[in-house]
Amino acid sequence: MSRVSSKLASAVKCSDTFNADACMHCGVCTAVCPMGIEMLPRKLFRYVQVGLEDKVRENISTIYQCLLCGMCAENCPAEVNIADNVRFLRKYINENEFNLS
Amino acid sequence: MAIGRKIGVFICHCGGNISDYVDVKAVAEAVANEPGVVVSKNHMFTCSDAAQQEMIDDIQGLELDGLVIASCSPKLHMFTFRDMAERGGINKYQYVHVNLREQCSWAHTNDKTGATEKGIALVRAGIAKASLSVPLTALRVDTIPKVLVIGAGISGLRGALALSDMGLSVFIAEKEKDAGGTVKNWGRMAPDDQHGSEIVKNLLDEVKRRDNIMLYTDAEMIAKSGYIGDFKVTLRVGEHDSVELQVGAMLIATGFDSYEPQQGEFGYGLDGVVTLPQFRDFADQQDGELTYNGKPVKNVAFVYCVGSRQKKTEACPEPNQYCSRYCCNAGTHMAVCLEDRPGDLNQYHLYRDIRTYGHNETIYEEARTRGAVFMRYQDTEAPTVADTADGLVVTVKDQLMGGEEVEIQADLVVLITGMVPKKNETLMNLLKLPVSKDGFLNELHIKLRPVETVIDGVFLAGSAQSPKTMAESVGASLAAVSKAGGLLMKGFVDLEPLIARVDTDKCLWCDECLKACPYGAIEKIHHGEKEVAFVVKSLCKGEGACVPICPHDALDVEGYTDQQITAMIDACSKEVVPA
Repeated sequence: MSRVSSKLASAVKCSDTFNADACMHCGVCTAVCPMGIEMLPRKLFRYVQVGLEDKVRENISTIYQCLLCGMCAENCPAEVNIADNVRFLRKYINENEFNLS
Repeated sequence: MAIGRKIGVFICHCGGNISDYVDVKAVAEAVANEPGVVVSKNHMFTCSDAAQQEMIDDIQGLELDGLVIASCSPKLHMFTFRDMAERGGINKYQYVHVNLREQCSWAHTNDKTGATEKGIALVRAGIAKASLSVPLTALRVDTIPKVLVIGAGISGLRGALALSDMGLSVFIAEKEKDAGGTVKNWGRMAPDDQHGSEIVKNLLDEVKRRDNIMLYTDAEMIAKSGYIGDFKVTLRVGEHDSVELQVGAMLIATGFDSYEPQQGEFGYGLDGVVTLPQFRDFADQQDGELTYNGKPVKNVAFVYCVGSRQKKTEACPEPNQYCSRYCCNAGTHMAVCLEDRPGDLNQYHLYRDIRTYGHNETIYEEARTRGAVFMRYQDTEAPTVADTADGLVVTVKDQLMGGEEVEIQADLVVLITGMVPKKNETLMNLLKLPVSKDGFLNELHIKLRPVETVIDGVFLAGSAQSPKTMAESVGASLAAVSKAGGLLMKGFVDLEPLIARVDTDKCLWCDECLKACPYGAIEKIHHGEKEVAFVVKSLCKGEGACVPICPHDALDVEGYTDQQITAMIDACSKEVVPA
């Protein structure tokens, strides 16, 4: 059970970078990931979209494992810019979790 | 019997539908020598243009005065063949339809011999009926070029204007003190953002400008008599007045009620849990950022399908099983309206399925791309709403997370409620219109006669019939207008002559037929010295309840006389009981 955080939800909404609206949860991103990252981007992005901040926090190491190689975005049939979304998340975590700005 | 009759018999193969199981050639040969039959033939498809032309040639060449066609159900082609009989120059009521497909071949696919024997018996009965047929003429009734529209909502007002455009006089009866119906105070509405109040105002202004429209508010029908083309209606107007109207047709534009959730249903009754209509009123009264109880509204949770698509359970013994059609559109449109407001508002839409069909799909897309979060729940695991120390908390299992449980702390929970049938007991008792199992008014045929009812001259206009959007309601209303207009502009209406008739010699007036008739078509009149029953032709449906109940055999139904029915039974049972 986790609770929606207004803060993350609002940050996602105001962001020009983060956009997972077109994601149709097909899983191609996971299949092509060279890091074999266990956390599925589609599931992670769903947490972000809904605003589940504690779920994002639980997955910080996964978010920083990403190489930002862009394989996923290259292969995404819905043209979701996955690498950019990961950058947004890192920025949000840097600011709110590690107090870097 | 059948002396001097010239009857033509035509047996259809129906391309195999009949002939695969009934030996249609054997049937045609077996009945060829029945009394009165002058021609007995087969056709591959009797309904085809070529076969119809051949039959017309036979009607004219052999001067037929009776016609039997053994084919499919009369529901499918009785009117086709009646028209053909008329084109051939024979009275259409001297044509008899025998159902050899649904009632014979399809019912006995495992017994060709038996099916053929039954086919012969059925056709013989048809011939017996045709040989006693007499020419009948349709009843012509003059129509009053005036229409009563019941309900002054969008459908009623728009319908009234269209009728007025045709040059017909219109009376509108509205039960409420103010005209305008459900949306008269509504703000922005899907899909084009026009305000409900503005649409109503424009329609009402136009109605007031028309000389041939009379609008009664605080008015209710209290009596009704008459029939298609000539109804007599009494309206109660205000507390003490009443008016008598004479109209040719009626439009039922009584609209819908919004579903009222039960206490506790999705937290209904808790402070901050409201229905969509209530939320709409609340939001329409505020400009700028929404506030509730003096605080800005930050999080709103919407729950869809409240009161729609319900399943039967102990808590819900009479479920609304239908989809209310308009609610997904209204909910997603409300999402867009909220995004248009200033302030930092997050909205969560918990849905079962989003049904924003047609152009409304773009509203759903706009709502999503502008930041409204949509979460799908399964009907077996519906969201719950609880009042906690942190305020209202909605718990939902999000399908896109594989059913993980998510809590949303919400300032307001909006229940997107569907439509339920309008409660109108007085009106329903007067009009005796049948309702569907959902409680909405029933049309005559769901596809082909969508605005007509079993009461001739009474038409359905809008959401009284089923849940509809505003555009759909207006569409239905204008369809009803075209049916009413078509009826009244012609000036007369032809009714089926297959109705009851009284033998005044036999009738002794005992009132049994009056009690048996469900249409109120029997009246008592003086005939010479005595009192007898009289059939009001335009009210009688030829249903026949009066016939067997009459202790003096004084009643008969044209086209289905006792003599004809007896002859049919005799013809059917020829082998069993030889003449």
